[in-house]
This record gives sequence, structure tokens and C-alpha cells, in this order.
Amino acid sequence: MKRALSLAAATLLVTCAAQAQDYPSESITLVVPYGPGGASDLAGRALTEAAGNFLDEPMTVANTPGSGGMTGARKVSTADPDGHTLLLARVGMALLPAVTNDPSVDWDEYTFLGSLEATPMILAVAEDSPYESAEELLEGIENNPGELSYAASGATAIDGFTVQTLLSDAGMDPLSAATLVPYKGGGALASALLGGHVDFLAISAASLMPHIESGDMRPLMVYSPERMEALPEVPTAEEQGYELAGQVIGWSALYGPPDLPEAVVDTWDEVLDQVADSETWLSRAEDRGSISTIGDVDMTTYAEEQYNFYRELAEKFGYLQ
Amino acid sequence: MGLVRGITVTAFFGIVLFVLIPVYVPRPNFIPGFAPPPDMWPRAISILGMGLGLLLAALSLSRKPQADTDPEDAGAIRDGTPLGTLVLRFVYAVLAFAGFIVAVHFVGFIVASIALLFAMLLLTGQWQRKGTVVLVALILPLVLYLFFSSALNTRFPAGSLATILGL
Amino acid sequence: MLNDLLTAFQAVATVENFLIMAAGIWGGVIIGAIPGMTGTMAVTLALPFTFYMEPIPSILLLVALYKGSTYGGSVSAILIKTPGTASAACTTLDGYPLARQGKAGKALNMALYSSCTGDFISNISLIFIAAPLAMLALRIGPPEYFMLMVFALTTVAGVSGRSLLLGLVAACLGLLLATVGEDMYGSFRFDMTVEMRDGLSVAPVLIGLFAIPELLKLVVFRHAGAKTALELGDNRVTRAELRRSLKSLFKGSLIGVVMGAIPGIGPSAAAFSSYGEAQRTSKNHANFGKGEIEGIAASESANNGCCGSTMIPLLALGIPGDVITGVMLGAFMIHGLTPGPMLFEENLNEVYMLFIGMLFSSIMLFGAGKATMRFFTHISRIPPGLMAPIVLILCLFGIFAIANSMYDVIVLLAMGVFGFLMFLFAIPAAPFLIAFILGPMLEENLRRALAISRGDPSILVSSPITWLFAALAVFVVAVTIRRQLKKASA
Repeated sequence: MKRALSLAAATLLVTCAAQAQDYPSESITLVVPYGPGGASDLAGRALTEAAGNFLDEPMTVANTPGSGGMTGARKVSTADPDGHTLLLARVGMALLPAVTNDPSVDWDEYTFLGSLEATPMILAVAEDSPYESAEELLEGIENNPGELSYAASGATAIDGFTVQTLLSDAGMDPLSAATLVPYKGGGALASALLGGHVDFLAISAASLMPHIESGDMRPLMVYSPERMEALPEVPTAEEQGYELAGQVIGWSALYGPPDLPEAVVDTWDEVLDQVADSETWLSRAEDRGSISTIGDVDMTTYAEEQYNFYRELAEKFGYLQ
Repeated sequence: MGLVRGITVTAFFGIVLFVLIPVYVPRPNFIPGFAPPPDMWPRAISILGMGLGLLLAALSLSRKPQADTDPEDAGAIRDGTPLGTLVLRFVYAVLAFAGFIVAVHFVGFIVASIALLFAMLLLTGQWQRKGTVVLVALILPLVLYLFFSSALNTRFPAGSLATILGL
Repeated sequence: MLNDLLTAFQAVATVENFLIMAAGIWGGVIIGAIPGMTGTMAVTLALPFTFYMEPIPSILLLVALYKGSTYGGSVSAILIKTPGTASAACTTLDGYPLARQGKAGKALNMALYSSCTGDFISNISLIFIAAPLAMLALRIGPPEYFMLMVFALTTVAGVSGRSLLLGLVAACLGLLLATVGEDMYGSFRFDMTVEMRDGLSVAPVLIGLFAIPELLKLVVFRHAGAKTALELGDNRVTRAELRRSLKSLFKGSLIGVVMGAIPGIGPSAAAFSSYGEAQRTSKNHANFGKGEIEGIAASESANNGCCGSTMIPLLALGIPGDVITGVMLGAFMIHGLTPGPMLFEENLNEVYMLFIGMLFSSIMLFGAGKATMRFFTHISRIPPGLMAPIVLILCLFGIFAIANSMYDVIVLLAMGVFGFLMFLFAIPAAPFLIAFILGPMLEENLRRALAISRGDPSILVSSPITWLFAALAVFVVAVTIRRQLKKASA
């Protein structure tokens, strides 16, 4: 028994090896708060692949799905602040705390290490739909109140807000003008539109591009600061004059637990600078249809802006009492 | 047993229906009126469950007990052991589980699982083979630990004791 | 097409590809056979490696792992009454009694034959009728899903054992526990602690319900079974047994193919439906649940029958039906291939290479199954009193590793105690699990359908597909009631 204890202690010794050493002193776990294979997972894996070249220790992905991403977020937020557990944050990390009164992790319970990428969203209808533009679609909604349905991950999810902001911009009630039908995951959302079970949707570009390329879906508008390279003729929400919808976009960022030591933050500043120019990162981002934003925005400010934006929306739409 | 079972089942679903659902299943105000709210489904199931429970209780009073017995049935494998002993063993097992969950926080996952495995091997009456028991209880968790931490990069909780000792 | 297939054949048939597939199948069988380790885990584990491989071998590796683990799940289901994957739950019902009778080898052989047959039929369907199946899958909307799930749920009647009433109680418990956590509109149900917002995952519930009650039985009763090891006797599947199982085997394969092609349904629902169907129509229906070889054929042909056809929505529509195909979608995208209608136009050669590779993998599954069987049957010689605690520790590590979550481990242990209490009340575990897995699909599609129809329930019987499944469900319920009445009067 004694030997067992010392053996076990020795194993423990290896795992919790002195934290005083230079960062990173052991492999870094990047928590992806969604399931494997999805857009966030691919972003996380692209980051670990690219950043792995500039770190002394390997970086691996751990998928921790649940509660719209808050399970993984909570795990990182409460982890030891040694920089060996980091989070691939998505827009949900700022959005979900904004739309509930008792969030399991608030928007600022992290150390913000940097932004990673912006992921455009697309408003699309099926190929046999009568609507040729966002304006026509909105007219159709106005003429048949509540009749048209759209698929989204949930009322207070990012792909629900894409539609609700648009309805609100057009002067309609964001909650009742069109009927929300909840589905889980990009694949299920896309197939709901393909199968003709809903009339339109506005979700992340990555899930829709294959169907747009094959001609089964028609893109009406993109939620992105500028037009997408792959869809040069599709206007952006901002161009069309939709004020709120023009501000909705998906993004990824790198977060750590609160109060990360200075040394860790500095290391990541350097590493992310190198990742921003690396071939792996850029080509992987292009494959997924997202735009690298490393170094373009100050993440702390951006996260706060995003939180305030969705907080105001939630109050305006009546999600918060 | 039929009556106890029927009442237990009814009580379980009743508690869910009258206590848990009102408190823990909120009706959000933004779901459109015609779409079923979150509590529709659990309520329907609980009502059905209560009905079934009452039916179970009623049948146990009115009819002869089930004729054919299952060879794996609790009554069949009980083998005349006094009830007190059985309850005591069950309590030990549950305590071992609870102890494991608590112990993980202090001594870490590996040590806790070694202890749990050891306890379980004793509880299933394997102590005649002391050598095997000790060997298995020590080696298996360590092998699994090494496998998961190297192949899947799982980071098992190390426990607060390790931190206190400065490891 | 044949010419293209031949070219693809030459491209695929390299030693390297065969080694990769063999490794995937073997790895999958072993991981699937260890309780607490799942096919999803195997596929996720292999994903980083695929980044550095050629596109086709990397997908073949993932497919091989998936197939291997789906078969492997039946090994632990038969030998230690713990389904390695949820889709093997019905295999337990007949496989474990057979193992107790000293016929573990026979059960394993039947599981392997059925798995390989289902798998092969599924691959053939993928190659030749992918397009019509994909179109069918798209037609399945919320009302059709709902009716399909109602039909699948009628299997509860078949797995209830002695009392239908107790089976229904178990199903209600399963449906209720499945509602814990976040609902489809994003509100939380039964979130008594913050962790409970994540709900209860299938893996800890499955293992907790099957493996841990076995351990607690040994602890509490210390019955004779605890110390004696099983004798290995009857290993072969006789020709007569094979012949009488053929009908269930092919029906199971077809159910697997169709249900696998519909995104979001998955091998568990297919295996349950197939088992229920076999049990209703078989001449030996009274023997089901007591060690009927036909039950294993039904369950295992259906769950492996999904493996090939689950690739249909992925390849033809770019829609992953479950977590495993989701990981495969990721692997495709990493290599710059986008599954979907364009894949067949732009990368037809790669698609055919994949098809050919998958056909080979069915054959390899047979080889790997045969080769590992001798080793696995030795496991049933370990006395249960030693085995059950070992299984517990395997599950603890495996379940923790799935999501790095201590909460899942607590769910596992709590479900174990709950499962033992159910055993004491003679409430069967299988209907609970079936309802637990089907419940969310049932509820979500009901609510989705009613949202689309703006509260009008007639949407549930609005299309020929819904009529078909509604009629089937009514038929099954009628047959069940008649049988119960007969039994009561006898």
C-alpha cells in the first residue's frame, strides 16, 4: 500500500509539475465549448495546429459541449489561472450572459487574450422560394403576419438574433412577425430549409455555402462588414440599411481564466502575432469561409461592446424583465 | 411488494408534478402562445406516470401476484440472507460511491479510484484472493490514468491535497 | 459507373490503406468493447491524426473506427451485460442470457455475422441508392419524425419482459429524466444545480443503468453467480439457427439502412425498432429476452446497418446526422472537400474510392471480429465478483474522459443506484433506456411540428409518411394488447 501511495504521489508530481517555471510548462488544453466537427471545433483545431508551431508545448482540443457553450466556458473560467486551460470563445460567451439574468459565467469572467476570426452569417431561402431579396422577404412577412417560419438554434441564440434584428429594423415585432422553429446544429438547420419545413433562415455561412454553391438555396443578404469573396453579388445588411442587423456577426476569440499572469498574456500576444501571418491559419480560415481578425480589435473592448449590444436587444425585445 | 411499488411510483411522479415542475420548470414569456411551453411534456409524462403508479397499486390489491418469476429476480437471488445485512451492504456501497465523489476533491482522481476499487472488491467478497485484489486495485487505475492522459490528453482532477503539499 | 468504380478500386487497394483500415477496425472493436469508451471517443481521438493524412485514407480510418466500435459495443453487451454503445442495448437482452448459459461464443458469432451483413447491405445501399434515400430523408419533417419516433417507442412493449405495465412505468421514468437540462427554446428544466443545466448525457445513463446495478447486486446479495466463472461451451451458430434468423437479419439491415439515412435518428433507434419488430413477428417470440439468437441478429444487423447509410445525408447533402458524422464532416473540410451535392460532381473519384474502401472494411470487420473473439470469450471466465468492480473503474475513467466532467461521473454513480432500486422493484431497464434516448426526439419534433402549424395538431397526420407510421404504431399497440389479454386469461 505504501508503495502504491508513493507511486500515485509520483504520478501526481508529474501532472502538477511546478508552475513557477516558464510558460508553457505542460501541454495546453484548448476547451472548445461545442461538439466535435462543428464550426467552432474546426476553428479551435486550426488554432491549435497553427499555434503549436510557436509554442514549446503541444496544444490540444477538448470538446466540452452543453448549455449553448456555457459548460465549457464555466470550466475555463473556474480553472487554475496558469494559462494551461484556455477557451475558444464564440459570440455566445458575450451573448448568453446578456440575455439571461443569472448567467452561469458572466461576459467578463475571463482574461481576454485576443480575437481570432469573424464568421459571416447568410440570410437564405430555398431555391423554389418566391422571394428574391431581403426586402421582398420582409414584405412577404409583413403581409402574412406569423405565417412564415424560420429555423434557428433558439430564440436567444445568435442565429435567432440575425432574424429578429432584421424584423425589428423593418418595423415589425421581432418575436411574433415570423415563427421561430428551433433546431440543433448547423446541419439540422440547413436540412430544415432544404426539406421545405421552414421558409427562411439566417445562420453561419459555413453551414450554408455547399447548398448555395449547388443552387439548392438562394442567398439574400450577408451579415458581414463587407461582401463575401465567394458571394460578390450578395449585399450586406449594412448596405441595405438595416441598422441592428448590420451589427450582428459571429466571431471566435481566445479567452483564459480571470487574472492570468502577465507572462502568459505576453506569450500569447507574441504567439497570436505569429499565427496571424501563418499559412496554416489563413488557409484554414479561408476553407471555413471566415475572416481572420487577429490583432484587428482590442478584445476586451469588443467583448464589452458585444455584451452591451445584445443586452440592449434583449431588453428591447422583451427577453429580460 | 406490489403495493409499495405502486405507491412509490405514484409518489415519485407526484412529487415531480406538484413540487419540482412548478419550481424548476419556468415558463419563459417569449415563447409564442400557440407553441407548447417547456412544462407541457414533463407534466404530461408525470400525469401518465402517476396514473400507471395508481394502476400498479390497484392491481396488486385485486389480483394474484405475477405467476412466473424471473430467475434474475431480487427475491430469487436473495437466498435467505436477513434484510438487515442486505440493507447494510447497500448502505456501504452507496457510502463508497459518495466517498469517492468527495475524495476526488481532496486526493485526486487516481487515489480515489484506487480506494473505491479496493472497497468494491472487498464488498463483493473477493478477499480470499488478497494478492489479486491488491494487484488489480493498484495497477488498473494507474494504467487507465496513463492511457487517458497520454492518448486523449485528459486532465484528471489532482485534488486540493496535492496543491497544499506544493506538488 | 462501373469503369469509374474500377479505377477507384485500383487507387484504393494499396497496402497502406489496408493497414489504416485494419488498424481502425481493430481499434474500434476494442474501444467499443470496453464499457465507458464509445465510438464517438474513438473517432474524436483519431481526428487530429487525420489532419496529416491523405483525405480518403483519413475518412476511411474514421469510418473503420465507427464500424468497429458499433460491433464492439455488442461484445461487452453479451459478455458483461453492459452495452459498450447505446445501440447495443437490445443485444444485451438476449446476448447476456446466452452467455450465462455458456453460449457466449455463439452469441458473439451471431452478432458478428449480423453486424457484417447489415454493414455490407448498408454500404451497397450507399453506393447505389444514395440519391433517392437522401431525397426521402429531406422529406422527413417534424411531423414525420414524431410519428416515426412514436412507432420506435412501441418497442417498449417488446422489451418489457413479464409486465407491460412495469415496462410503461420504466418508459415514463426514461422520458422524464430525458427532459432535464436545456430545452429546445433555451430554457432550463430541473436545473437544481448549475451542472444540471447540461442535462443527463446518454453514456453515463446507459452505463449507470446496466453496469452498476450488476455490481450492486453482487455487493448486496453476494449470490452464487459472484464467484463462479462461466463455462464456455457452445460456440457455433448452427445452420438451422442461422436460417431461422435470416428474416430478422435482413429486415434489421433494411431498418438500419432507412433509419440511418435519416439525419438525427441514429443506430440506437434503428436497433430498438428492429428488435421490437423481430420480437413481434418471430415464431419464437416467447423466447425473446431469455437468450434468443434471433434477437441478437435483429439488433446487431440494424445498428451496423446504419453505419453505411448514415454517410448518405453527409455525402449527398452535407448534413451530418450525428456526432460521429459531424466529426467526419470536419475531416472532409480540413482537406478542402465539402460534402454535399457538389462533391459528386467535383470529386467523384474520391467518392468512389471511399465507397470501395467501405466495402473492404465490411470484410475486414469480419476478420477482426473473428480474431478478437477468442480473446474476448476469455473475459467471461473472469468471475463476476472481480469483473464488476473492474468494469466500474473502467467506466469512471471513460465517462470522465468523454467531457472531462466530474458531473458526468456523479450522474453515472447516481444512475447506478437508481438502476438498482429499479431492479428491486422489478422495473426493467431496457424500456427506460429506449424512452430516454427517443424521448428528446419525440418531444422536440412534437413541439416543432406544433410551432410550424401554429398549434394545429392535425399537422401530425398531414402526410402519407405520417399515416404509415401512425398506422404501424396503432397496429403494434393492438397486437400487444391482444397478447396481454390472452396471457391474462390463460
